[in-house]
Amino acid sequence: MNSRVTPASKQYLPPEVLARIGRLDLRAQAVVEGVLAGMHKSPYKGNSVEFLQHREYTRGDDLRRVDWKVWGRQDRFYVKEYENETNLRLFLLVDGSASMDYIPPRFDQAPGLTKYDYAATLAASLAWLGLSQGDAVGASVFDEQIRTNVPPRTNRSHLNSLIAGFEKPRQRHNSDFHAVLRNLAENLPRRGLVIIFSDLFGDRDALCKGLQILRQRGHDVAICHILDDDEIDFPFDGPTRFEGLEAGGEISCNPRALRDGYIEAMEKFLAEVRNRSAASQCDYQLTRTSQAVDKTLVNFLSRRSRTRGRS
Amino acid sequence: MPTFDFMTLLWWGLPFAAAPVIIHLINLLRHRVVRWPAMEFLLASQRKYRTRILLKQLLLLLLRILAIVGLALLFAQPRWDKNLGGVLGGNRTRHVVLLDDSYSMGEVFGTGDSSDLPATTAMSRGRKMVERLIEELAATPGQQDFSLGRLSRLQRTFSGDSDNTAGAATDEQLFDIYVEAVTPQNLDSVRTDVQKIRTSATTTEIVPGLRNIAPLFAGDDGSGVLWLITDLRSNDWRASEDIADVLKPLADTGIEIHIVDTATTESDTEFLKNLPRSNLTVERIEMIGGTPVSNVLLPWEVTVRNYSSSPSRQVSLTIREDRLERPGVQIDSIPAGDIATVRFESRFQNTGSHTVEVELPVDRLPRDNRRTAAVEAVDEAEVLLITTSDRKNLEDDAFYLATALNPGATAATGLRPRIEQPRALTTLELNDFDSIWLLDVPPLDTRAIRPLEDYARNGGGVVFFVGPKTDYKSINEFLFRNGQGIFPVPLAGAVDLLKDQQNPNAPDIVAEEHPIVAILSGRRNPFLDAVGVDRYMAVDRSFQAPAGTGLRRLLSLRNKAFFAVEKPFGEGMGVAFLSTAAPTWNNWARNNPSWVVVMLELERHLARLQREQDAVLVGQPITITLQQGIDQVDVDFILPPDERVVQEVASIDPNGNLATAMKDTYEPGTYKARWQTVSGARRELVTAVNINPIEGNLERVSLSELPDSLPGIPFLYDRANDLEPRDESRGGTSLVRPLLLILFIVLVCEQILGYAVSYHRTSKRT
Repeated sequence: MNSRVTPASKQYLPPEVLARIGRLDLRAQAVVEGVLAGMHKSPYKGNSVEFLQHREYTRGDDLRRVDWKVWGRQDRFYVKEYENETNLRLFLLVDGSASMDYIPPRFDQAPGLTKYDYAATLAASLAWLGLSQGDAVGASVFDEQIRTNVPPRTNRSHLNSLIAGFEKPRQRHNSDFHAVLRNLAENLPRRGLVIIFSDLFGDRDALCKGLQILRQRGHDVAICHILDDDEIDFPFDGPTRFEGLEAGGEISCNPRALRDGYIEAMEKFLAEVRNRSAASQCDYQLTRTSQAVDKTLVNFLSRRSRTRGRS
Repeated sequence: MPTFDFMTLLWWGLPFAAAPVIIHLINLLRHRVVRWPAMEFLLASQRKYRTRILLKQLLLLLLRILAIVGLALLFAQPRWDKNLGGVLGGNRTRHVVLLDDSYSMGEVFGTGDSSDLPATTAMSRGRKMVERLIEELAATPGQQDFSLGRLSRLQRTFSGDSDNTAGAATDEQLFDIYVEAVTPQNLDSVRTDVQKIRTSATTTEIVPGLRNIAPLFAGDDGSGVLWLITDLRSNDWRASEDIADVLKPLADTGIEIHIVDTATTESDTEFLKNLPRSNLTVERIEMIGGTPVSNVLLPWEVTVRNYSSSPSRQVSLTIREDRLERPGVQIDSIPAGDIATVRFESRFQNTGSHTVEVELPVDRLPRDNRRTAAVEAVDEAEVLLITTSDRKNLEDDAFYLATALNPGATAATGLRPRIEQPRALTTLELNDFDSIWLLDVPPLDTRAIRPLEDYARNGGGVVFFVGPKTDYKSINEFLFRNGQGIFPVPLAGAVDLLKDQQNPNAPDIVAEEHPIVAILSGRRNPFLDAVGVDRYMAVDRSFQAPAGTGLRRLLSLRNKAFFAVEKPFGEGMGVAFLSTAAPTWNNWARNNPSWVVVMLELERHLARLQREQDAVLVGQPITITLQQGIDQVDVDFILPPDERVVQEVASIDPNGNLATAMKDTYEPGTYKARWQTVSGARRELVTAVNINPIEGNLERVSLSELPDSLPGIPFLYDRANDLEPRDESRGGTSLVRPLLLILFIVLVCEQILGYAVSYHRTSKRT
């Protein structure tokens, strides 16, 4: 990594994580549109170094692509077509809503990462990986709207901009997936891979609509559903007052008394999200914040490789 | 209507019932705050389980409050008072304590040498039990009447010894402590009164005490509790049928009966090992000689009883003469459950009152280790010999008898025979004589017979010798009177003792089983064998000694005929020798030492009767008979142990004697009666008052026998050294056990419900 990376950025890009990710290839899906050469094969033909075929010149073709040698031998105009290696346009969409700032009250352990920290770390890692192989990487942090938007770029120094975007102070409002995803779909000029890092706490219908809009625009969408262990297992006991981070209200209760109902509701939520993601042809992966970031990355990339292989 | 033994504890405990609510409120303030992202699901869960959780939590809160309330109730010892008065608010319970204060309650438990095992007595256990009882009564709601009566006091009242008879005595006079209601205000006062109670020196009976207090429960209708605090001695419990008769009506009316045992020893075994387990009692101290005469060696006998199951050896006795210690004596062995008698001698230098005291080493019952005898030493004791012989006749009956009773200066007996004609019986004050001997006298007229029989009836001893002048018919008619008179047997006339042809060497006289001739019995005695009897007065053949008259042979002839016989008469004794005193019909008095021995023993025996009459036990009155016209009527009694002076005035009693009595003889020791004669001379009579030795028997009724001795009478048995009266001991039915069961169920439900609402921490996170 270059020396311009700020100490804070190291929080998101620990070297050991980078070392492990560097041995894997990030392969975009076949339909992702890119402009930079890289490892991703593009379905679009254009300027490239790998010759594919000749075809007859038609009006409107770029004269620079005419193969003058063929013209010299045959006196006919042929233009050269190359297999075009395009860039992956990777767009990282990180949920910056208030619910992502949950801090587990584990007094007997060192403070862990919040969901937002975890998501930002994961996103930055992917950004670094993408930039290192020449992909264009952009990112946004959103809550009820997009708060920070870093357009996709390919140069490696762009990583700092991305990280700065993640570190920008947030307003921590509620999530509005529909508005955000619609806005994103409208503003992304080319198709690409959109990875959403979020706890998905919000209106599921809105989320579903937003995903569908992205898919309609040709984007490949992956969802990294980040939850804290506490949110899944609900291990609390003793008199506790729960104050909503996003949704209003508070409950004073004995958590053990509500645990069964909570777990049931949570499982129902996870099943719904998983099903709706599948219905929208989106990759879905549930990630616990207790899981190592590099492991999550490896799992994610492996999953993407398998998905691409099948497509 | 429920009542509580410890109402204060209830008032202290009930506020704690608010503890679960307070803890709940504190938890609301102190609970952890978690800023939670997934409120949506939590709210969903709450909506789903809200009612159920609320109900469970309220139920849990209620159970916890109930548990604390139940605990407070348990501490307060609730009971259900069946009495209607309790329902109406007039909750009144009468507690009557009968405290056995016989001296066996002074039995010591513990050596007292060890600081952690202080010595205690059955009485102190009883006192502590009573103190605990009144403390609890003071804390019990409702009116708790409390009366405590010592058995000795109640027995005194019952027998009329007290100033107030049983019928006239008020409740306050009947009891040592009588409190309308024990309250925290008067608790200290009552406790002080209880602590003042000591064992008496008396032998108490339970029945009189019970009969005295029985009317107190009349009309209480089951709201009374009777506490009988006793050491359960077998002696006291022999009259268990009478006890049961008195207790039955009380039990039938619902009176709760508690028998509190103060002398259990099961737990005392360890620290009693250094004490002799047996209890020795000085049962008797007696001067076995005749009238005590100064400067004459007086023989004494001490009898010590060993009330234990093992023999006692090397028992040393301390002897004090007039409170000055003199060399003691030792008893080698006293068999288990038996007595041992040891003799010693004393000599008083001066005439007047003297005391001899014997004391045993300290044992577990100290009070019966000492016994005192008082004697009035005189210069000499007069013995009246009635005869019709001429005084100058040196060979008559009176001569031989006087010689036997007063052999001479070298063998001082202190006896002075006075020889008089039969008419002296009507002119002399017979009570001044140690004994009266009638020696072959002709028929007496009734004027002489009446004082003679009065003398014997009052404890005097009269000895008859018959002979040629004796008119047996007159004796039968006036002195025997079909067994009503003083003469022991009816006579049939003088007969010769025929020679025994088959056994010519057989002795004429045979000694019978009697203390007077004990020294001559048991083996052939050469002196008694030497006695030859030629003639005697035969007893009527038709005479059959009636049972119960106490007729007893001293000596018999070889033909099984009576030779010497005695019969109790009133407090005294009549003795008949059916032959002459002089060697007229026999040769006994002629140069035969056994004659002197038997006559002296007989005189001592008769004189002892009068002294036995003077032996006074604790509680018995000391009667002083004065001489009318000679003595003044004012008598000062000096009472032990603090020399308290009580003045009494003598009066004419029903028998016409000038007499006074001291009834307050409840402390053992020497009582002095002092008065003056009309001429101003000072007189003093010392009387020893001793405890009844039977109380020294520490044998107890076994616990298995106790229910059998009170058939059909429900009672509760408590051990005083437990100090804790049982739950059921304060009237009504105890609710402790049912409450304990309910509390157990509540706690189990609380645990189950608490677990159900997941208030228990999980051991491991999922």
